[in-house]
Amino acid sequence: MSSLYLDFIRIRFLTMLAYRVNYYSGILVYTLNIGVYYFTWQAIYGGKEQLAGFTAAQMTTYVAVSWMARAFYFNNLDREIATEIRDGTIAIQFIRPYNYLLVKMMQGFGEGIFRFTMFMIPGMIIAVLLFPVQLPTSPVSWIGFLVMLFFSFLINSQINILIGLMAFFIENNDGLMRMKRVVVDLFSGLLIPISFFPGWLTGIMNFLPFQAITYLPGSVFTGRVQGTGILEVLGIQVIWFLILLVPIYFTWRAARVRLFVQGG
Amino acid sequence: MFYLGLIWEYFTNYVKTRLTYRADFWVEVISDLLFQATNLIFIFVVFAHTETLGGFTEAEVVFVYGYFMVPYGLYSCFINLWNFGDRYIVKGEMDRILTRPAHSLFQIFLENLDPPSLIGSVIGIIIMIWSGGQLGLEMEWWYIPALIIMTIGSTLIYAGIYIILTSVSFYSDSPTGIIPLMVNIQTYGRYPITIYNRAIQIILTWVLPFAFVGIYPAALFLQREEMMAMAWLTPVMGLLFFSVSLLLWNSGVKRYRGAGS
Amino acid sequence: MQAIEVQDLRKTFRIQQSRGGLKGALQDLFAREYHEVAAVNDISFTIPQGEICGYIGENGAGKSTTIKMLTGILVPTSGHIQVNGYVPYQEREKFVQGIGVVFGQRSQLWWDIGVIESFQLLRKVYQVSEADYKKRLDELVERLQLQELLSRPVRKLSLGQRMRCELVAALLHNPSIVFLDEPTIGLDIVVKSEIREFLKDLNRTQGTTILLTTHDLQDIEALCSRVIMLDAGSIIYDGGLNELKTRWGRGRELRFQFGGAVKAEQLNGWTMGLPVTWTQESDLVATALVPADMAVSDVFSRILSQAEVTDVQISETSTDEIVRQIYSSGSAEKPEVKLHV
Repeated sequence: MSSLYLDFIRIRFLTMLAYRVNYYSGILVYTLNIGVYYFTWQAIYGGKEQLAGFTAAQMTTYVAVSWMARAFYFNNLDREIATEIRDGTIAIQFIRPYNYLLVKMMQGFGEGIFRFTMFMIPGMIIAVLLFPVQLPTSPVSWIGFLVMLFFSFLINSQINILIGLMAFFIENNDGLMRMKRVVVDLFSGLLIPISFFPGWLTGIMNFLPFQAITYLPGSVFTGRVQGTGILEVLGIQVIWFLILLVPIYFTWRAARVRLFVQGG
Repeated sequence: MFYLGLIWEYFTNYVKTRLTYRADFWVEVISDLLFQATNLIFIFVVFAHTETLGGFTEAEVVFVYGYFMVPYGLYSCFINLWNFGDRYIVKGEMDRILTRPAHSLFQIFLENLDPPSLIGSVIGIIIMIWSGGQLGLEMEWWYIPALIIMTIGSTLIYAGIYIILTSVSFYSDSPTGIIPLMVNIQTYGRYPITIYNRAIQIILTWVLPFAFVGIYPAALFLQREEMMAMAWLTPVMGLLFFSVSLLLWNSGVKRYRGAGS
Repeated sequence: MQAIEVQDLRKTFRIQQSRGGLKGALQDLFAREYHEVAAVNDISFTIPQGEICGYIGENGAGKSTTIKMLTGILVPTSGHIQVNGYVPYQEREKFVQGIGVVFGQRSQLWWDIGVIESFQLLRKVYQVSEADYKKRLDELVERLQLQELLSRPVRKLSLGQRMRCELVAALLHNPSIVFLDEPTIGLDIVVKSEIREFLKDLNRTQGTTILLTTHDLQDIEALCSRVIMLDAGSIIYDGGLNELKTRWGRGRELRFQFGGAVKAEQLNGWTMGLPVTWTQESDLVATALVPADMAVSDVFSRILSQAEVTDVQISETSTDEIVRQIYSSGSAEKPEVKLHV
């Protein structure tokens, strides 16, 4: 049984390799993204040593690692699920002897492995060569970061699955998906680290799952969180991972009822 | 005339379809507006930490953003290529398009009309008026004709870039195409371009000229002397990019018809 | 004038050759290997105006590729095509005004709105005048009995209802040539025969040339005077359906049930001098194969005068069977039919 799921990972990995144009343009676009934000933050710092707890050097590292983390955890599970719901192929998935959502997760993970090895690592090397990025020196930070990166992937995919399943209830959820993408980029701390937000907004952010996707692992990588602090932020990620299982479970159940009663 | 008639015909069909899914209509409008709001949040947060960005004040950057929303709304309404690869290439609807007597690109535009996006254009104008007021900009007679020319230029550039990127679907084997990768890049033309280094400036001006859908034309209304020349280049670049995109599209279609799907 | 003229038409595709496994996929990312496949291999045929022609072949034989070239969707690799006086891929927009296309597996109607709205829209797309449109629509709606369906959205129609609407959509601009790709796929018998009747009528009253691909040979029998058979990109048969049957059919089979036991020698003795071959199922049942050029009555009179017969069945080789045989042999040359006695 588990080898079946492993196969989904493998197949998706191979599929990703087949999309050559996407691969090459992806590398270029991510480098451009890092460049733009590097210079934007340089302009914002404008010679100031420190803003919102970030030194200018930490900011550079943060920008690079956040974008490269995004290159890894990003996927289109929401679109895939929504498309399968809209064109009705989801009905076939229900009669197959596996758990649909788990399969989607595995496909996402296959894509993630591709993105990690083919996007993130080469991209990080390019970023280190082009910009003054400081890599962590302590092995604990490295290990902590990599574990947290995996949870970033899990939480981001969970959010994607939830949004994708909304297609059961809203005929056209393109707008919702587009919005989710922007919200995740902004509130995960990719575009602006959470500590830059005004106090009240930071307060709200702390009660949302988005910061667990980019801001927390980014803080470990830049060395702003160290030692036992790493376990603390990792704990936040684990808690969010568990909490998000609840709405997914209920949405999925409601979706099945809807599919069986109304025929999709 | 034939094409204008078709626009009307497809528009009425859009309305009829939408009336059957009223709730969706509002979800779409609201999510569109929230999408814009998050971009504004970025500006506000950044300016909480600095007085100016590349010599532009907060109100000026907001004004640029307001300008951007006008052509962006027009573009989203008429040229919605978001699903092209998936729907037309992978699902094969391109074949149907090619058996009909109208230009293929135009048919695809019409089948994907999205009138609610125009609300964004209206809000963009309101933002321009509001931030213009904060800046103490005097309304001058030439603003309205200039805004129309610039908006057309910017819309053509936006359309051109995305048609070019969509044409890649004819050559690429990926269903999603590379458009999703551009979502972030399109925002970069809205900030004072001088903060970037030379290479990125060149990219945003000549390669993926998003600066012409933001900072350059808006600088005309902000009366920024240093970008005046670039501002007036907007309609020229618009025509240029749009023409190039049509050529690429046509050659993409030719390739599609050569290779099949 | 010929409706369709095709000369040495060829279409080759470049197929990417995937190297299997992870290593292969990684190699493919940087350098790819291709090989060429001829989907349509130098075919030639002409179809005169007003003919209904069936275009058949197994999956992947090149039917769809041909149809796509004839309708201007694909550009041929080489060869000459002329349809309705146009080269389809050159003046596409003008050319498609004169043709109608139905893809059985793909809808050309808008999913969410009433059928009539789609028709209205197509009227504009094809620039049909209001008067012509009204007249034509009324005729078609009357003929296909769509009155009640017109205001319903397509997603609420059954497959049969939808297909009838698809036909109307393809015919609103009164095309002189109609291409139908699997028009009866997935339909029930009643709807199938309705559609066949309709197409026959259309051909008779309007002189519309029809080219259809199908997997259902009953479509061919009901509609087509002419069949083009395709295999692996080449035409293996082009001609009348009857000719195909006489050339390929093994004649007729007479299956006798006898009142008492008979032996093989007796059977052969009764038809001595006639080119008849016998197959015996049991003591009481035997089948005589009568070649197409011989009268069945000759065999009848011989047997009935010499044996006690309780029952007789006459059957002809079905088109289905003929086609199956042709495919399994891969050529339409008349094979050596070996019969076992």
